[in-house]
Amino acid sequence: MAQFMLLLYQTPNPPARSPEEMQRSLEKYMAWMKKPFTVDGKRLAGDAGKVIRPAAGQPRTTDGPFSESKEVLGGYYLIEAANYDEAVARTLDHPHLEAGGTVEVRQLWS
Amino acid sequence: MTGEPESGPLIEHLFRREAGRMVARLTRLLGPAHVGLAEDTVQEAMARALATWPYAGIPPNPGAWLFRVAHNLAIDAVRRHAVFGEKTSAIVADIERSADGRQENPDIEEELADDELRMIVMCCHPVLSRDARVALSLKVVGGFGVREIARAFMVEEATIAQRLVRAKRQLRNRQIKLEMPSGAALVERLDSVLEVVYLIFNEGYAAASGVDLVRLDLCGEALRLGCLIAGSSIATPTVHALVSLMALQAARLPARVDTLGDLIPLEEQDRDRWDRALIALGFDHFDRSMAGMTVSEFHVQAAIAATYARAIDSGVIDWAMILQCYDELQALNPSPVVALNRAVAVAKVHGASAALPIVDALENEQALHEYYLLLAVRGQLLLDLGRQTEAADAFRDALLCVSTEPERRFLSRKLTACAMAQ
Repeated sequence: MAQFMLLLYQTPNPPARSPEEMQRSLEKYMAWMKKPFTVDGKRLAGDAGKVIRPAAGQPRTTDGPFSESKEVLGGYYLIEAANYDEAVARTLDHPHLEAGGTVEVRQLWS
Repeated sequence: MTGEPESGPLIEHLFRREAGRMVARLTRLLGPAHVGLAEDTVQEAMARALATWPYAGIPPNPGAWLFRVAHNLAIDAVRRHAVFGEKTSAIVADIERSADGRQENPDIEEELADDELRMIVMCCHPVLSRDARVALSLKVVGGFGVREIARAFMVEEATIAQRLVRAKRQLRNRQIKLEMPSGAALVERLDSVLEVVYLIFNEGYAAASGVDLVRLDLCGEALRLGCLIAGSSIATPTVHALVSLMALQAARLPARVDTLGDLIPLEEQDRDRWDRALIALGFDHFDRSMAGMTVSEFHVQAAIAATYARAIDSGVIDWAMILQCYDELQALNPSPVVALNRAVAVAKVHGASAALPIVDALENEQALHEYYLLLAVRGQLLLDLGRQTEAADAFRDALLCVSTEPERRFLSRKLTACAMAQ
């Protein structure tokens, strides 16, 4: 079975939601994480991270990827699927999409 | 995977409940002028949970996690805000002490209940309008969102948002304190709190069609607030009467609508679906409401609800007792709505011909103008008296006044009954 990486991007300032709405959203995430094809999932730390670029002499390290996009990578899941079609089908009901985030699906080399 | 997520579900309404408690606690620590900051901090703590738990799993004690994170965020905010000035380090120390207290302090539940109590008492300050008291109580103490409050009360979100902003500004400008009044001020304030709690309950109860859960949540929140007050040192027999009334009425909610969401008349309800735990709670508080000499409207209404509830075992409703209660209620509050309800009891005890003149006399009441229940009651009495044509007219007039689908279907069925009887 092939493995796919789901990269979860979110808008930096999501609209305010009520406690009840947040709890319901959270419960959907938790339920999704228990699906049998989920292998792993990790949250990235909330900071911008570091970027290391090659440079003459010594690689240069800067803060953050400074992406043009407004969305930031918040975490990832690893899932199993036969192919891209199945991986996408399995991701379509991910609560992250309902919460306004974007999911990037990438197959791992095997 | 490392950090296996908890399999157990979160307690129902955990976020909403914890939000109310945390805002109450932080508002006490930051000062009532900073209730907005307390709310923002709590909102951010919950956003952190949402960003973390879906990957790391739900922590063993989610409430304590939120409590700790909210306190840490509050400390950051206090250090960042110049407004706290020289009080900064003292406030930070207070917040740190409170943050540590959640785990080790055996009295924490009681202390948090006290915080909430002071908060609801502040939210019901007479300087605020009644609408503002209701909205603020639901938002700050109940943990409801602006959209939820707006939906429950069928008003624009912007209206509620504005009402909340204005209410908080009034609290700040008038330097309203987060403290328990005493003496006559406490009596007056408690009346205001009970009025707000009952308004919240009624808003949920009046139209709880079983479809919109937010409205049912209003009943639950009102009952919770009632129990909070009833369990505190400021409880009076009237508080117990209100809790009894709400519990006994809420007990019937599961049986009140059919699968279509249509209202089922009390006598046709499946009593097995009445909530026995709530009925027991209601009778418990009913007994406690009998201490002392006060007879409030809540007492009489609770007595009516208790009479209905007794039918769960006997199978028969004691209408003579209910009529007696309505006589008493009318003496306490001679309102047209009470008179209309009393007329229904009169019909049950003395027959439709005795009740019809009472209803007819109410037709010119401004408060009942275009009130569909008046017309529906009139239609039913006429139908019982065999005057089908007039009954049908009344039901048709009632149809022009209704707003919800279940009400429309109810009246349409009555119209069919009129046609069949002819």
